[in-house]
Amino acid sequence: MSPAGPAGQGPPSASVGEVRSTRVPADEAKACCARSYQSDVVALILGESYHPGGLELTRRLARTLDLRAGQKVLDIASGPGATAFLLASEFGATVEGVDLGDIAVAKANATAAERGISERVHFTVGDAERLPIDDASVDAVVCECALCTFPDKPTAVAEMARVLRPGGRIGITDVALDPARLDSELASLAGWVACLADARPLDEYCDLLADAGLRVTLTEDHDDGLARMIDQIDARLVAFKMAGVAALEAIDFEQARRRVALAGQAVADGIAGYKLLVAEKAQTSS
Amino acid sequence: MTMTPPIEQITARKVDRDEVFLEYTKSICPVCKTVIDAEVNVKDNKVFLRKRCREHGKFEALLYSDAEMYFASMKYNKPGTYPLETQTEVKDGCPLDCGLCPEHKQHACLGIIEVNSNCNLDCPICFADSGHQPDGFSLTHEQVETGLDAFVRSEGEPEVVMFSGGEPTIHPHILDFIKMAQDKGVHMVTLNTNGIRLAHDRKFVADLAELKPVIYMQFDGFDEKTHVEIRGRDLRAAKQKALDNCAEFGLGVSLVAAIEKDLNQHEMGEILRFGVKHPAVRSVAFQPVTHSGRHITFDPMARLTNADIIHGLVDQIPEWFKLSDFVPVPCCFPTCRSITYLLVDGDNVVPIPRLVDVDNYLDYVSNRVMPDMSVRGALEKLWSASAVPGTDGNTTSQLECATCGIDLPEALKSIADKSFMVVIQDFQDPYTLNVKALMKCCVEEITPDGRLIPFCAYNSVGYREQVREQLSGVAIPTIVPNAGELQPVLMTTKYGSKTFGNGDGRGEANGGAHVPADATNVGKTLR
Repeated sequence: MSPAGPAGQGPPSASVGEVRSTRVPADEAKACCARSYQSDVVALILGESYHPGGLELTRRLARTLDLRAGQKVLDIASGPGATAFLLASEFGATVEGVDLGDIAVAKANATAAERGISERVHFTVGDAERLPIDDASVDAVVCECALCTFPDKPTAVAEMARVLRPGGRIGITDVALDPARLDSELASLAGWVACLADARPLDEYCDLLADAGLRVTLTEDHDDGLARMIDQIDARLVAFKMAGVAALEAIDFEQARRRVALAGQAVADGIAGYKLLVAEKAQTSS
Repeated sequence: MTMTPPIEQITARKVDRDEVFLEYTKSICPVCKTVIDAEVNVKDNKVFLRKRCREHGKFEALLYSDAEMYFASMKYNKPGTYPLETQTEVKDGCPLDCGLCPEHKQHACLGIIEVNSNCNLDCPICFADSGHQPDGFSLTHEQVETGLDAFVRSEGEPEVVMFSGGEPTIHPHILDFIKMAQDKGVHMVTLNTNGIRLAHDRKFVADLAELKPVIYMQFDGFDEKTHVEIRGRDLRAAKQKALDNCAEFGLGVSLVAAIEKDLNQHEMGEILRFGVKHPAVRSVAFQPVTHSGRHITFDPMARLTNADIIHGLVDQIPEWFKLSDFVPVPCCFPTCRSITYLLVDGDNVVPIPRLVDVDNYLDYVSNRVMPDMSVRGALEKLWSASAVPGTDGNTTSQLECATCGIDLPEALKSIADKSFMVVIQDFQDPYTLNVKALMKCCVEEITPDGRLIPFCAYNSVGYREQVREQLSGVAIPTIVPNAGELQPVLMTTKYGSKTFGNGDGRGEANGGAHVPADATNVGKTLR
């Protein structure tokens, strides 16, 4: 689905009950995913839950990247801009956000203007597989909970490597998944939510980065954050049901809850998890 | 006569300690109440407080039975607020100057007035050492007013006053007292009761309903054994009747369950399920039995702590709870109290901390950009000792505020009145008293002479005995915990609590001859 959908639409977006066909052409998938991430019901249920691990994990990511004031950071799949705003306000970075969703980009730029930090945080519509960013022009790249959704991962990672300056770092947080061990109901939802369907095991992410000429310097487990996000989605579903939120009528409530529970079980069983990866580009450009 | 053994004969090896030394603090000797130094150590993921009295030896007690939770709670330590006025001067140091003295770190969220020492029960467990006693006290209008005025001068507009006892419902002027507190601008009045009068006197319930205090009703479980061992009588029918009367007359109730190890620990889940279903009940407070005053024999090293209550609730109602649903309360010392809120609609139950990222808002250690200060403000009022649940309480509007500042739809505000509060509160006793936590206590006993004494100091240090003696004119011995290890030296007082030694009413240290002077300790007792 979305090559650069808003950050934060992690695997649990699977759980809202939309069902899509398993095999769709990549372009169609991108478009429909971008739509679904901007749709009211998804936004409602995910809220600003952002991505597994929340702002705390974004801070952790920033620290592992050794971000410093004045550095230029590219945020791929910047969504509503929460990661970008945190990196700018707490770490003093200058952030360019790229996202495929034009509405998300417009909203994020409006938020930047509201906060009076448009000079340091800016968002652009763009495709992660064809980044509208110059070669070797940024000090760091971050991509939270989005690589899993990119249909052509090697190209997306190659693009990250291209725009990074020599010696720069890439920080990724993302869903990791062992598809072979996935529950049949969840597995049958492939395409229903790209991040579950096309998430990879941790070592495959490492291979992707290595194949792009990057050196993986750190990987961390943050599975608790994913479990907590799944709990949060279930809680929101139930709370909205109690409150009689009309938008919820569009989905099958019981089915949605069952899928959320399955996703939670997959995390508990170690089949699905959330990982942090840091990779470095060699000092001398190859 | 020292001789150094030949090197080859030395076989001893250095051994590592089996505990992590964490904190150095002050406490009291549980026997003579002398202020002594204490240390806090972590062993086997449990937190212990250890201290040594020159006169009475070494004491150790369990503070928190999950060290990881203990550490995690520290970030919730909100900076305290100065009260408008303090009542005493700093003279001998904490905890002998109560209070409040200018060194106290927090204002009072909740003030307690014990209106009498008389009770219509003689519970085997009673921190106030109350009962059918002919030689107690009963406060006058003037005494209550003196206390309330001191509280108002200290707080401006006080949040909550709780009337307690004894049994406050048998005080002939209790309705006047409630009205007086309300007239003086106290936002919320609560009435702490065993419920007996509420069960049998419908006229009284109707009169209370005019004033609408929130009822805090002792409710320890459903087993006959629980009732007999904690309250001395099977009160199951009376409790049910009292709750039904409250529902009929529109009084909101918070159930208060005293939980004792191996007695009613297994009933916590059932108590909560019952409370959630009963129309009058808006909250349940679980309190490990306080080993001050009168209580059954216990082991200080194996007592219940907040961590046990939280783990127990998660174990007993796994379909509702996870450990992370319980959030430490920032206004007091965060290890003293944890709270969660539930949204309840039929069989659907949602803990609020899963909807609102409470952690992000109530972290006072990391210096962060706060997304929305009004949400923090609302959450601080919800996670507070002054939070009183229910439609007539103060939590509903705060819940609305907490949910309006974040990304929840408007419609959710309509269910804020479906909220249910769960409180876990551990009070300190003479074994566990830790001055570090005590200095930030926000629950105060309001005395008729106009002092505000932190509740755990009042129960542990000797203030309760001092105040009762002043009010009743009857000599009161120093009360000592009924710990298993102290059995050989304990005597039973006429009220059923325990005292030490010859029972001359003064404890050892204040007897005059044996005040243990100590180079580092204060070496004084209150009495």
